Amino acid sequence: MTVRTRVLSAPLWYGLLLTGLMAGSVMLGSSALAAGEVLEGSLAMLGLSEPLERSAQAIVELRVWRALCTLGVGASLALSGGLIQGLFRNALASPSLIGVTGGASLGAAFAILIVGGYAPRLVLESSVGLDALLVPLFSFVMALCTTALVAWIASARGRASVTTLLLVGIAVNMCVAGAFAAIQYLTLEEWEISRAILAWTFGTLDDRSGFHCLTVFGGLAVSTLAVPFVARELDLLKGGEEDAEALGVDVAATKRVALVAAALAASAAVAVAGQIAFVGLVVPHLLRLCGQHSYRQLLWHALPAGAAFLLGADVLQRWLFGAGALQPGVMMSVVGGPFFLFLLVRSRREVSTW
Amino acid sequence: MVNQLVARDVCFAYANGPRVLHDVNLELARGELVSLVGPNGSGKSTLLRAIAGLVELDRGDVLLDGRPLRAASPRERALDVAVVPQFLPSLFDVRVEDFVLGGRYARIDRWVGPKSSDREAIESSLAACDAIECRGRAMSELSGGQRQRVVVARAVAQEAAVLLVDEPTTSLDPDHQVTIFELLARLASEGRIVLVVTHELNLAAQFSTALAVLHEGRLVARGSVDALMRREVLSSVYGERLHFGRTDDGCPFVVPRARLARRPQG
Repeated sequence: MTVRTRVLSAPLWYGLLLTGLMAGSVMLGSSALAAGEVLEGSLAMLGLSEPLERSAQAIVELRVWRALCTLGVGASLALSGGLIQGLFRNALASPSLIGVTGGASLGAAFAILIVGGYAPRLVLESSVGLDALLVPLFSFVMALCTTALVAWIASARGRASVTTLLLVGIAVNMCVAGAFAAIQYLTLEEWEISRAILAWTFGTLDDRSGFHCLTVFGGLAVSTLAVPFVARELDLLKGGEEDAEALGVDVAATKRVALVAAALAASAAVAVAGQIAFVGLVVPHLLRLCGQHSYRQLLWHALPAGAAFLLGADVLQRWLFGAGALQPGVMMSVVGGPFFLFLLVRSRREVSTW
Repeated sequence: MVNQLVARDVCFAYANGPRVLHDVNLELARGELVSLVGPNGSGKSTLLRAIAGLVELDRGDVLLDGRPLRAASPRERALDVAVVPQFLPSLFDVRVEDFVLGGRYARIDRWVGPKSSDREAIESSLAACDAIECRGRAMSELSGGQRQRVVVARAVAQEAAVLLVDEPTTSLDPDHQVTIFELLARLASEGRIVLVVTHELNLAAQFSTALAVLHEGRLVARGSVDALMRREVLSSVYGERLHFGRTDDGCPFVVPRARLARRPQG
């Protein structure tokens, strides 16, 4: 009975938490909004109420898109991290291992070069313009292409060993990072472009639109469909691939589906928000600390937990430091490094050889 | 229920490596417990994996009642063949029930989840392997003997007709070694086909219905314990440094002995 109550109440708690964080996120900002205004403006976006006075309505809409994007990005990265950790059978793995982040950076750099003057903060009005579409599109496609390249090089006769996948991932990441560095160097003199590229790498959640939301939630939705097909399988893979196969798992198919789903979710998230490190690594870890060891539960919990984690971090830092706060991507890196070290030291204590 | 398992002309080589199995022919019938013995590197574990369908054969077939195993999907195969692996990772975050539930994977509907029949199978297989006391604990907390019994319990929960067991007694004390072989013998007598890879010739002699001897990738003998636990058969495989004898109740045994046996002084 207690188990059933817990299962029922988990969505309720997550729902309350996310609603609270959404409200907080929309209310906070350079011009503070009252809860009533936020509610009215949000309802107006759904066509359920009269819109607010024009500038206030615009602010509400902008902040709602931003908050929704943050939710989607957090959920996508956490789900992707959970899938990758299951696939690599290593709790320190993250989506960047398979080239998602590197590929997305390169794609974004290409797009910025093509547009030739794009910078995220300069396009407040033209959020549906060409440049706003091109960067996410390019980074999304390049992220997927890089992952596909990694998987293709690593696989022999339709099968990829996890170790090979990891090593090829490292090598391809190096190549992609090299190309990215070359672009950065060559555009060093062109202030606008190099600034835009640099800004992208910090990750940004400002000035997001419905298009961004659609991208990230589209990727997330497709990836989530994969969860029932890989969750039990990833649990059985903990005993090794051969053991899982002996139990009846189609290991090759599981790896393929998990890899595609992880790449899709992470690519969409990175395409929309730029590099945001650490969420994919830490959210599954936090869930494990809370006792969610089985991927059957962990992957589902990763969705709301990841969303709440990123939005919570964003709300917290904007509340503490005001409008001039760091981008979430930067903040995650600052906090993420030490936390990663902590995990490493802890796992070394758990497993003496490693 | 499977009545007969046949390995026919099984040949296998690892990629870019020498051939490990040469035309192995082995037949096992329902109710048999056959111990597969042979020196290190003779290909025992590889033959076990080949019979389990976990490696792609260069030539030959493994047939269950005449059906070739290679035509089956992993899931279909797992309904008939269960493997008890020699090594598993520590699985520190896996609870015993969840581990044994893994044996039910091929029988559980993806969209329905474990049913009460699956829960009962977990309970009864843990009980059958004297591992009920391990419930609720993490795999990494178990002692070597408990862990081995739980791994066998998972294979029992799989309800497969064929049980392939790879060196189940390594790192177990003598008493637990006997427990495991008693368990395997009981599982065979209940109507399964059990094939055990082992170095424990004396346990194999006590519990097996037959022995199969593998040497340099070839099956050199298959027959009753009495026929094979002899110097003429085993010394060509294991060398001359063996001492053969019989226990009080007539069971053959063999112990390793240095060529120039040194007796302790005094």
